[in-house]
This record gives sequence, structure tokens and C-alpha cells, in this order.
Amino acid sequence: MNTLDILIKYHPAFLEGLKVTMQLSAIVWVTGLLLGTLLGIMGNKYPHEVGLPTRVLSFILGGIPILVFLFWLHYPVQFMLNVVIDPFYTAAFTFAIVNIFAVADIVRSALNDFPKQYITAAKVCGMGERQTFLSVQFPLIFREILPALLLLQVTMLHVTLFASLISVEEVFRIAQRINASIYKPVEIYTALGVLFLAISLPVNGFALWFKHKFTRDISES
Amino acid sequence: MLRAKNITVKTADGRLILDDVSLTIKRKEITALVGPSGSGKTTLLKALCFLDYPNSGTVSLDTKSYDFPLNLEDEATQKPTPWPEVTAVFQQLFLWPHLTLRENILLPLKARLKDDSKKLNAELDELIKQFDMTYFIDRYPNQTSGGQRQRAAIARALILKPKYVLLDEITSALDVEQAAKVLKALALLKDNDIGVLLITHLINFAKTSADSVVFLDEGKVLAAGSTELITKPSHPRIKDFLSCAKAAS
Repeated sequence: MNTLDILIKYHPAFLEGLKVTMQLSAIVWVTGLLLGTLLGIMGNKYPHEVGLPTRVLSFILGGIPILVFLFWLHYPVQFMLNVVIDPFYTAAFTFAIVNIFAVADIVRSALNDFPKQYITAAKVCGMGERQTFLSVQFPLIFREILPALLLLQVTMLHVTLFASLISVEEVFRIAQRINASIYKPVEIYTALGVLFLAISLPVNGFALWFKHKFTRDISES
Repeated sequence: MLRAKNITVKTADGRLILDDVSLTIKRKEITALVGPSGSGKTTLLKALCFLDYPNSGTVSLDTKSYDFPLNLEDEATQKPTPWPEVTAVFQQLFLWPHLTLRENILLPLKARLKDDSKKLNAELDELIKQFDMTYFIDRYPNQTSGGQRQRAAIARALILKPKYVLLDEITSALDVEQAAKVLKALALLKDNDIGVLLITHLINFAKTSADSVVFLDEGKVLAAGSTELITKPSHPRIKDFLSCAKAAS
């Protein structure tokens, strides 16, 4: 039985696992991008009240392996709080937190580093704050951060594999189960790689296309 | 006229940058602001176009007067927003890098473009001709030379029909030929009924084209008046500065 045979024979199981993986990813992507952007903007606007605590939390989170954070939220925290939460939600919450802080870091840094001279130029040309933001700040910042944001989202998709370790029935766990029954690790994990490539490549391709179409070398000699 | 009276600017730690500086810029005139580096020229320019507020003094724009520090708690006091009546072109231009030179010039007029599109495009075409920008107007800033960018930055200011244009060392990064083109363009500003403040180290240009000269040193106006100030300098500090400028040119 080769990789293609496995993909064909076990496609209902793989699709089911993929569905869970995509649901998990969608939650992580949407919350991360929305709340992370908001947190990044707030962190830039209120550097002491929001920016500093966010940076500290981000620094601490960056030092904790995601798997340890996931296990910590799944076992000890639930034990301490005497609650039992569906592993899917625990995983979604954990990865969303990681994504929110990572997105916030990217957005806040881009806003902090934005050359203020471009805003000054807009000001002396009589442009209002709204027009300056929409026509100058936003396009420049968006072009700068988009490749990094897309790369981060692909990484978050890959991180969802850790959810299998707390019994979320996502695609990696399905692959492990199939392997347990037929023991064809090379073919099964190749099939899994193909599935992830099928999802990641379009995102990476979009990032590449976007970079090619909208970002140019803007440095002046 | 655009007038600064008794302007004082201090840093956060109390160091004096401008000390009781007064200056007048009249329409249809070029006022050259000369002086050594660190004398406070750019700080004065920023105060004149209300980008940075001075600690004390008054800036008047025609009939409106603003006393600093502004008392913003008083409801009658409003933050000055004189742009683009007063506009500025800086040494580092600040053309928006994601837009072509044409888009850079037209962006500040976007709101007006819907109604006056024909008129504005005709004005832009006229400027493109005047500034000799036809073959590079649709390029991005980093695809053009320093002199071309400089002309586009001046055109961006000019199409706004300002009353006063403040120019900060706009020729400092250009070669002689490019600088000559830009300086030729400055004469157009004067012809367009615009008052110009030009911060420059080009003493010869100041001698031939300026209507008045202000010499700033260590945050103080050392002398102000006609171009005789630099053609027949009497103040030892100005003589010294001019001899250095001559040696460097």
C-alpha cells in the first residue's frame, strides 16, 4: 500500500481530521489576527498602559514552549480550577493566545518603526488624519507586515499538530491511529505531509504573489 | 506675511535652541536663512510651520496670531492648522515611497480631484512642463535621481497653492547641475506670489536670488537685512562663516 492508496482508502478519516484541524486553525487565525491587530494598535497608542504589559507577557510567552503551555492549561490549570474543558477548546484557546501576542508584536513594531516623516509630509500638505492613515500609513504598514503575518499563520497551522497530544481528533492524531492499525509510517506521514502542503502552499503562494505584486524595493539611493 | 516674534525654544532638559528670535517672511520674496549647523535653523522652520510649538513667542500668519505656549484649556484657543497655506519641503523630502511622483503630487488633492479633476490635471501638466518632469513623473521615488525627487517635492508643495513655502536645505544632497535646476524652480515660487524661506548653505544663490537674509548663530539672530549682509559682511562672525563657506565650495 503506497501513499496514494492510503490517501484514497482512508480519505474519510483524513478529511474528518482535516476538518478539525481547519476549524482549530480558523479560530486561531481569526482571533489572532483580529485581537492581535487590535492589541498591537492599542499597544502603540498607549505604550505604558497597554504596550509595556503586552511586551512583558509576550516576552514570557516566548520563553515557554507551546507544548508546555498547552499541557499546563490542559492538566494543572483545569485540576486547580476543578473544571473539565473539551481539549479542542483548550487547544484553540492556547494557540489563539500565542497567535494574538505574536500578531500584536508584529503590528506594534511596524507602527512604532513607521517613519514619522511621512506623516509630517502629509500634515504640511494639509492632509487630515483619516486620509493620512488610509492613503499613507495603512498601505505602507500593510505591505510591510503581510508576509510576516502570513508566515506566522502557516506556522500556527503547523502548531495545531500539538493538539493531538491532548487528544484532539485532528489530522495528525488520525494519521497516528491509521499508523497504529496498518504500521506504514513512511507512507502515512508522507500522506500527512502532502495534505499540509496542499494547505500551506496556497497560503505561501499567496504571500509570494502579494509580495511580488504589491511590495517593491522602496529604499532610496 | 508670516512672522515669528520673540520665539524661544528649549529642549526638555532646558537647553536653549532658539533665543528670542524674530523673523518676517513676505509674499513674493525669498528670505534666505543662513548660519552654521546646529544654529537652530530647522527648529525655527518647524516653529514657523507649526510642526513643533515654541516654548514662548508669537507666530502670525497674515491676520491670525498664535501666542505660545498655547492655552488649550481655553475653549477659544484652537490648535493652529495652517497647512497647506504654509507648507514645507525638507532636506529628506519625504515623498511617499509606495506612490509614483504623479500620485505623490496628487494625493493631497484627492478630495478635490472628484470635482476639479480636469482643472487639477491641467495644473499638474503645467507644473510637469515647468519643472521638466515629463519623462519621470510616473516613476516611483526610488527610481529617480535626487534632483528629480526634489523637483517633485517642490511641485507637490506648489500645486497646493500655498502662501508660504519653507525649504530646508533642499539642495544639500544634489550635484551642481541638479541643484541649479532646483534653484531655477524656486524662482517660479516667487513668481506665483509665494513667500519663500530658504535654509541654505549656498551663499552665492542667497546673494543673487534672495531678497533678504537672516543670519542665525547659536540660536540667535545675529543679523538680518538685505543681501548686503553677505555681500559686504561687517560682523566678524559672519565674515568668518562666509570665508569657511567659500573655502568649502
